[in-house]
Amino acid sequence: MALTGLQIFKLLPNTNCKKCGCPTCLAFAMKLAAGKESLDKCPDASPEAQAALGAASAPPIRAVTIGHGERAITVGEETVFFRHEKTFVHRPGFFRVLDASTPASAIEDRLTDWSAIRIDRAGEVFRVDGIAVVESPGSPEFAPAAAQAAAAHGLPVAILAATTKGAAAAAEPIKDRRPLIVPPAGADPGPFVALAARLGAALVVSGADLDSLAAAAADAARAGVADILLEPPGDDLATLHKHLTLVRRGALERIHPGLAYPVFLRVGAGEFSKAVVGTSTFASIMAVADSGGETWMPLWTLRQNIYTDPQQPLRMDPGIYAIGEPTGASPLLVTTNFSLTYFTVSTELDGVGVACYLAVVDAEGLSVLTAWSAGKFSGDRVGKALRELKAAEHVSHRTIIIPGYVAVISGELEDALGDGWQVLTGPQEASDIGPFFRDVWETARPK
Amino acid sequence: MTLTVKPKTWPGAIREVTLGAGSRQGLTIGGGKGLPLHTFEAAFPRRPLLALEITDVDPPRWVDTVRAPWDGALGRPDVAAKRAVEEYGADVVMLHLVGTHPDRGDRSPAEAVEATRQVLDAVGVPLIVKGPGGGSRQNDVLVRVAEECRGEGLVLHSAAQEDYKSLAAVTVAYGHVLVAESPIDLNIAKQLNILLSDANVDMDRVLIDPMTGGLGYGLEYSYSVMQRIRLAALGGDRMLNAPVICLVGEEAWKAKEVKVDGTPAAVWGDRARRGVQWEIATALPLLEAGADLLVLRHPEALAEVRRVVDGWFVAGS
Repeated sequence: MALTGLQIFKLLPNTNCKKCGCPTCLAFAMKLAAGKESLDKCPDASPEAQAALGAASAPPIRAVTIGHGERAITVGEETVFFRHEKTFVHRPGFFRVLDASTPASAIEDRLTDWSAIRIDRAGEVFRVDGIAVVESPGSPEFAPAAAQAAAAHGLPVAILAATTKGAAAAAEPIKDRRPLIVPPAGADPGPFVALAARLGAALVVSGADLDSLAAAAADAARAGVADILLEPPGDDLATLHKHLTLVRRGALERIHPGLAYPVFLRVGAGEFSKAVVGTSTFASIMAVADSGGETWMPLWTLRQNIYTDPQQPLRMDPGIYAIGEPTGASPLLVTTNFSLTYFTVSTELDGVGVACYLAVVDAEGLSVLTAWSAGKFSGDRVGKALRELKAAEHVSHRTIIIPGYVAVISGELEDALGDGWQVLTGPQEASDIGPFFRDVWETARPK
Repeated sequence: MTLTVKPKTWPGAIREVTLGAGSRQGLTIGGGKGLPLHTFEAAFPRRPLLALEITDVDPPRWVDTVRAPWDGALGRPDVAAKRAVEEYGADVVMLHLVGTHPDRGDRSPAEAVEATRQVLDAVGVPLIVKGPGGGSRQNDVLVRVAEECRGEGLVLHSAAQEDYKSLAAVTVAYGHVLVAESPIDLNIAKQLNILLSDANVDMDRVLIDPMTGGLGYGLEYSYSVMQRIRLAALGGDRMLNAPVICLVGEEAWKAKEVKVDGTPAAVWGDRARRGVQWEIATALPLLEAGADLLVLRHPEALAEVRRVVDGWFVAGS
């Protein structure tokens, strides 16, 4: 949010000297607020005024990058409170917690496994975004090796420090890889701020309430730390959610420069609900202690949902998707590449238990009726797409099932496909596919 | 310097709707005067309620991991209802008359009434009755249940824009609550409530079902349309300020990700636990987006959402 004219006016000298060409400072302030003037025209503007106006034109939440190279992750730069207002910009990074006192060979195995994880889902690849190395208080000597091993795998590293010394030992050797230093809860921030400033590393700051959190961030910034994340207080979910909400709102309203940073959360073992709330409510980096897929799969998927651009619906890659283990005699259906349409249809097909092929054609991510109205799901277009996808090579028959809503394209599609293809009109709703297979397909199927 | 983030105040509030009457212990939802779960800055006289879904017949499409806690009770609505309330702590029970669907048992409206009676006799909590889905059977079944169980304040699920008149009539005539279902569309949600209002349904007897997309299957659409509905309601729109019901269990347990073991196993983890957490990760964002009544399937999901809600409304209030 930009400053209002009155807010700017308070920063001006209020001398009405007219050197800027305006009759009064207030008039000048109003023009500044409207973006019609530049502060350079005021020869007496204070450094504070310049800083404030400069900050007001910057994004309300700073960008912070952790890591180096292909897998570096950038968070922040968010501009809205609700995703429907525009979109959330940077997906949060999920860092997997690694206990540095684990034997070195086991650490190497884990890092090899974790850095190789790739789950393809609806056009996105789910990966472990980084490693949060935990310094064991009793044995700080292990953290540097673990941090270096993680960095060697190309993964961004957060150091969940127990001591300043341990943090320094772990961060120093990988300082060119932009590590994130996370001081222990309740620690004196001073030495960690000095360390982060000296190494050019990113730093997490915390506070017992919103005031002290913002003040800690402002202090760190003054001491020369450029990349800051805020760890909001909250031992219970309601208090945490309150602070997550107020940090975002305060940042967007620019009430304090110390709030203009992304948010960091630690998620302990078994704290699944905290991870869910963090993912949907503004957390930018989360260090997650649980490593099981039963936790990560839903979290990755939730992040995908929340961070989808509402103006750009998720699209499936066009292709012929197998449901179950189809054979050449199995049904072949076609629908659009709007991911919600695909998911609805494929889930229903899964549930019905009839193995089949589902051809997904590029309809620019629109649902069936919308795509048809917009001319993206016409008989010609679908026919051409099916030929490009080589649908005929998957089945031994020449029958294609189309969504009931576009029964009207049957003739055109048969013409477009030629070669003896027949079009069978399916149900309008995916939920009726079961009865359709039983009542229509069983009698109409190519024998 | 002390930071002040101005509390948000709103001209509107969510309506209070009481579920259950007659032999039921009535429970009231709604009444919130701020953004969902923003207990730190607005009054929330009622906490969200949690229901468990039971069925009239053994639901063949329920996956084994969500069938397990209902072992011995599937298709026995009285046993399942008792278990839901007494063992699993549900505030409300939803009887899904899945067996009345022409393709899933084709049971008659009279059999539906019988199943509903069994549940009413077994437990004293408010009851949601869900029909078999769109089409004439939905009306036949729910109209009969509404007539035969008059005065019980049943929550009838659901009426849609294309077909609401008979359910509106029995809601008014027999003292029930009606769920108005719209396909993830704020304008249709509003339009349907206007139609219901014109059909003499008291808006204090209406819930909105904005249609739930499960995690990974359109959750974000439900999430955003619910936030927009809530903003409109708080802004003073009296045709959108009904409490919201979400059928979480049904949608969460449809996901492919809760059904398959997944490979490699280390990356997919334990399937049973994954299913429960899939349901939790569907439920919590919907609470944040404005759900007042969640219908769940797995008692472990209910227990965790219960823990979150109870903690929230103690800590935050």
